[in-house]
Amino acid sequence: MALLSAKRSLLPEEWLKKRLPWARSTTLDRKRIFIIPSKTALALMVMVLILFILGVNFQNTLVYAVCAWLVAMILINILHTYQNLAGLTITAVQLEPCFAGEKAVLQLSLACPNKQQKLAVQLEWRDEDAVQVNVLSQSPQTVFISHSAQQRGYFTPPRLRVSTRYPTGLAIAWSLVAFDVKGLVYPKPLAHSYSGLTKPSGEVSEDGRDIAQGTSDFAGIRSYRDGDALSQLHWKKYAQTGQLHSKTFVDPTSDERWVDWDNTPFSDTEQRLSYLCTRVLELHQLDYSYGLRLPQITISPDKGEAHKLHCLRALALYGLSDA
Amino acid sequence: MPNQITYSGMWWLLIAQCMVMLPFAMHLPIWLIPVMLFSAGWRLRILKVGVTPPSVLFKTLLLALGLGVLLLSGLVFPSLDAMAALLLLGFAFKALEAAKRRDALIIVFIGFFLVALYFLYNQTIFAALYSLASLLILVGALIGNQQHVSEFNTAEQVRFNLRVALQILLQSLPLMLVIFLLMPRLPPLWSLPMTMGQARTGISDRMAPGEIGNLSQSSELAFRVSFKNKRPTQQTLYWRGLVLNHFDGREWRQFDEDLPMPYMRSRLEASALQDDQMTIQGEPIEYEAIYEPSGKPWLFTLSPVAHFEGTALSISDYRVMASDPLQAPLLLKATSYPDALREVRIKRSTLYSALQLPKNNERSRALAQRWRKEVGSDKAYLEKVLHHYREAQFFYTLNPPRLNSTNTIDEFLFDSRHGFCEHYAGSFVFLMRAAGIPARIVVGYQGGEWNERGNYLLVHQYDAHAWAEIWLPEKGWVQIDPTAAVAPERVEKGAREALASEQGFLSTQQFVDKHLPWLNGMALRWDAMQYQWQRWVLNYDDSMRLQILQRLMGEVSLQKIAFWLMGGVSAIFMISLLSLGIWRKPKREALEHRIYQHFCALLAKRGIQREAGQVPSAFAQQAAQQLPHHAEAIYTFNRLYEAICYQPPQHRTEQLKALKQQWANLRTQL
Repeated sequence: MALLSAKRSLLPEEWLKKRLPWARSTTLDRKRIFIIPSKTALALMVMVLILFILGVNFQNTLVYAVCAWLVAMILINILHTYQNLAGLTITAVQLEPCFAGEKAVLQLSLACPNKQQKLAVQLEWRDEDAVQVNVLSQSPQTVFISHSAQQRGYFTPPRLRVSTRYPTGLAIAWSLVAFDVKGLVYPKPLAHSYSGLTKPSGEVSEDGRDIAQGTSDFAGIRSYRDGDALSQLHWKKYAQTGQLHSKTFVDPTSDERWVDWDNTPFSDTEQRLSYLCTRVLELHQLDYSYGLRLPQITISPDKGEAHKLHCLRALALYGLSDA
Repeated sequence: MPNQITYSGMWWLLIAQCMVMLPFAMHLPIWLIPVMLFSAGWRLRILKVGVTPPSVLFKTLLLALGLGVLLLSGLVFPSLDAMAALLLLGFAFKALEAAKRRDALIIVFIGFFLVALYFLYNQTIFAALYSLASLLILVGALIGNQQHVSEFNTAEQVRFNLRVALQILLQSLPLMLVIFLLMPRLPPLWSLPMTMGQARTGISDRMAPGEIGNLSQSSELAFRVSFKNKRPTQQTLYWRGLVLNHFDGREWRQFDEDLPMPYMRSRLEASALQDDQMTIQGEPIEYEAIYEPSGKPWLFTLSPVAHFEGTALSISDYRVMASDPLQAPLLLKATSYPDALREVRIKRSTLYSALQLPKNNERSRALAQRWRKEVGSDKAYLEKVLHHYREAQFFYTLNPPRLNSTNTIDEFLFDSRHGFCEHYAGSFVFLMRAAGIPARIVVGYQGGEWNERGNYLLVHQYDAHAWAEIWLPEKGWVQIDPTAAVAPERVEKGAREALASEQGFLSTQQFVDKHLPWLNGMALRWDAMQYQWQRWVLNYDDSMRLQILQRLMGEVSLQKIAFWLMGGVSAIFMISLLSLGIWRKPKREALEHRIYQHFCALLAKRGIQREAGQVPSAFAQQAAQQLPHHAEAIYTFNRLYEAICYQPPQHRTEQLKALKQQWANLRTQL
């Protein structure tokens, strides 16, 4: 247990890293929980002091006893507050992708050891979002908390402050948990469209229906190929045979369009990406089949949710080293 | 809004407030309780129905009204009462505007303060137990305002919070004892008057016929005494409180004029400085008395007091009095020498006041002068007067006929001849003075009830008594009890038995004595417990604290205190830590994560380091590029791992099995 008078921002990252490394899942223990008596406790101490003077003036033993009891309570309470965080396991489940300038939502799973419920635990990114939860049982509890993401690319949220004042508010126990998660931040879509596209009226896909791989209609099972989506895996079959198989689906397609890097009204990279992003979203919404052309990257025309995400991912990571 | 008081939190606060305020109703203006209930009710309405909170103007008006009534209720400023009333008023009104969690904290803290403050009014076991319960509720309120578990229903919530509060308070107990023992006891810094305008029974500083008789109707406790060595016999227990010198024909008083208390006190103190005329002889009696609050400053001791400990003043005639009227129990340790000679050489002024007589009661004066002439000596005259009480038809009764004239002595001696102790003492002193023998009245208590279980003496109001002292050359002041001449059983067996046959004397008590004697035994046992408690509470001062510490750790020094404090605190912390299960091993991480960690560790040995924050798929890609022969296996492993992590756990066992298999596969490959 670390008793520190330093505020959160004063704790150096280097020092924190040793105790609270970036990890997908963190269990709070002695090394990871910091405790100080709260301002409330200080106020109570001042009151105890006044009471003590009263006890001195009236030479009253029982007033002394109350003073002693209150001081003892403040001290013992530190343990209770500590106990309310100790053993809490916080797991980052996933950081949902978002567009730049929006909030990235982190899904957390909180669990506590048997019969050690944690009450009034506050999860907070200062100036961003705060959630208070009670973790009552061993079965994990899901919590969503958001942080604004400004730049496209990968977003790693800063350390999350996990704190509690339970049971009495006379002490604050806290930890700064770092999650080993990365979330995609897509380019910020433009405020209004430049293409003038409207929803075509019904003529789509009636003529010359081209059957392409899709995600909506089940087509069959084939052996696993690299690049197949996880959601396509056929687990039952795997359990039976020990070999991986994928389910295949088909989508009806319509005429193809290209979202092209060289065909934008902008020259600035970020603005271009924003424009392309807007186009992808529009085409997806209109259920067109479209392809994406970026320098060195070409994604052949397709449609559907998976294709959209594929394109957005390419846009988000365009020009970044760890793409 | 996490900083707002919840509905259940508000209920906690209200219950705690009521609990804290209730006992004050017996000591302070009763109208505070409706004020409190009104505020609380309003607050609940705001929370439940969403009525707008009272405006600032309204609140100010209400506060002004409260303060106005407080000023008009006759409390003295500054005094403890005024402070307590002010705090209570603020405490009640705080409920009106309590909205934020901070307000709740203020309410709870004032609650703690008031719980302690109540001990200035009442230090009995009951008060202590009640305050413990209040503390529990207050801590419960503190908890109730920190959390709200919507999964619990109200009863569960209450039970849960109370359990946690009890746990905290009980765990604090050992630590509290350590702090309590090591906390220094300082002398008072300044004093604040208590002033409580409560009428209490007790001996007053004047005596008219019938007054002590009235007092005898009360079975209230006056004080308790324990003796250090042997218990003196019942007949010798004359608890002297006041010496009355001045007589106006009807009433006996201390001085010839009515003096306000501070003057009276300083006059009594000043004359004490002049008496140094005590010749100590005989065995001392050492005792410790605890006086119940009487609203008067008089203390009752065996005569004469040679020395004493306690917050009291030494006053004339070897007596002791409290510096202020008793509003709280007072403890006095004293040593008396009943056989000591007092004022063998007497001052002229003392002599003069011990001979003062009014002009009335002429028949008695004439009788005294005739008898004195007949017998020839003071000693023989004393015998004759006592003989007269004994042999003539005098009756000792609680209900004598009323004496109405200013010649009460004449009326009693010649006509009614039925009287209580004040009649006998009064007429005796008159007869002495009329014959030229210096004499005075002493008022106090005689005897008391012995509590076998606790080895101490209980003195009740019905033990109130008046007797006389006369001054004889060579012997100084000598104590004479004329009542003993008329009714020896009063002194031998005590008032309760001597007056048992009297109509209306302590009727309830008499009934219990006769029909339910076992109830008396229980009452005595309970009283013994209360007395032990009170002795401990009042006796616990710095010297006692040091004694306890010395018994625990030998020679007391600052280093040792520091050592014990540290040791005590850390030991208690350790025990609490263990009991809270803090050192229980944390649960291991889930299997898939452990396998993945092994995977990372294995690759790290091959020189492929996973960066902080690198997603598994990116890491897998990096590893596959560096280990192209195993790329397939690495990808498969990674896919399985991600599937477990990111997909709803429907096929968890199967997925885990697959992951384990793949891991075993990969490990043999690498």
